[in-house]
Amino acid sequence: MKDKVLIIIPAYNEEKNIEKVLKEIKKDINYADILVINDCSTDNTREIVERNNVKCITNIFNMRYAMAIQTGLKYARDNKYDYVIQMDADGQHIAKEAEKLYHEIKKSKVDIVIGSRYVKEMGYPCPFFRRIGTKMFELLVRLFCHQKIADPLSGFQCLNKKVIEKYSKIGEYPEYPDANLVIEMLLQGYKIKEVPVKMRLRENGTSMHSGIIKPIKYMIEQLYTCIVIFLKNFGKRRVK
Amino acid sequence: MNNLYFIFLSIIIILYILHSVRKEHLSIKTSFVWILMSVVMLLLSIFPYSINWIAQIIGVEYAPALFLTFCVVFLLILDFNFSNKISKLQEKVTDLAQEVSVLREKNNKDK
Repeated sequence: MKDKVLIIIPAYNEEKNIEKVLKEIKKDINYADILVINDCSTDNTREIVERNNVKCITNIFNMRYAMAIQTGLKYARDNKYDYVIQMDADGQHIAKEAEKLYHEIKKSKVDIVIGSRYVKEMGYPCPFFRRIGTKMFELLVRLFCHQKIADPLSGFQCLNKKVIEKYSKIGEYPEYPDANLVIEMLLQGYKIKEVPVKMRLRENGTSMHSGIIKPIKYMIEQLYTCIVIFLKNFGKRRVK
Repeated sequence: MNNLYFIFLSIIIILYILHSVRKEHLSIKTSFVWILMSVVMLLLSIFPYSINWIAQIIGVEYAPALFLTFCVVFLLILDFNFSNKISKLQEKVTDLAQEVSVLREKNNKDK
């Protein structure tokens, strides 16, 4: 039986990027359904998505990136999808590379496949401070879980049914579901694998981590959450 | 010797906060500020004269007054933060309730 695959794209004010992203996905992964979670955008994101005949859920207020993702996961669970691929609406994630994640999750029978910029040098022009941050969380994951995840901050992921079920049930889905969620899943016995992928830099608009205060706040929050999640799961029985 | 009681109390508070997070009674995000304050309390218990030192730098004559001022300011900020959050939540609940009412009406019409 053919697998049901859903591509989830959370979008907030992405009118300049979303059309290109949708066209690329339709061309390169034509067997997958697409779902855009419009996080109460104030621009024409919703109109553009609907014009492209893509399913669009519009939140009634801005719930931010993570909650938009979880809305999509709940949709996937209710509609019995076998796999979910999370992609960004800014054009950073390449549709052809998403296919690699899907093939890998089927081949390796793992629970999560992460599209990684750093597992192999893929020519991603990463800013210096971001690279340092990623390295720090890579070390943290290795310290807590004894597994090397070169890019734990990557949101480009493919999830299987078990993970879709698990994520949609989390009451306190983290505001930034990055290294903290990777640590939690590894500690609970889920299997995660990385696949080297190419990524682009966003062409238009600003990232949710732009500026000076936001990245600092992100780093503190992420670091604290990782430590607390480790302590929270310490000594707990594994799922599998 | 008295410090030992406060050190012990601070550790108990930190453990209790972590226990609450573990049992999912307290969210990780909310726990941050409480853990931060418990760590400050622990540090002040280990180095009790640090408050005198800070008071000297700021120019406060009676160090315990500075400590109490810090506590009051912290609680006021926390209170303001919670009021802010409650206002936003109230707004969102209203939005949700209105949306549900509209959808219910639409659903009844479709039937």
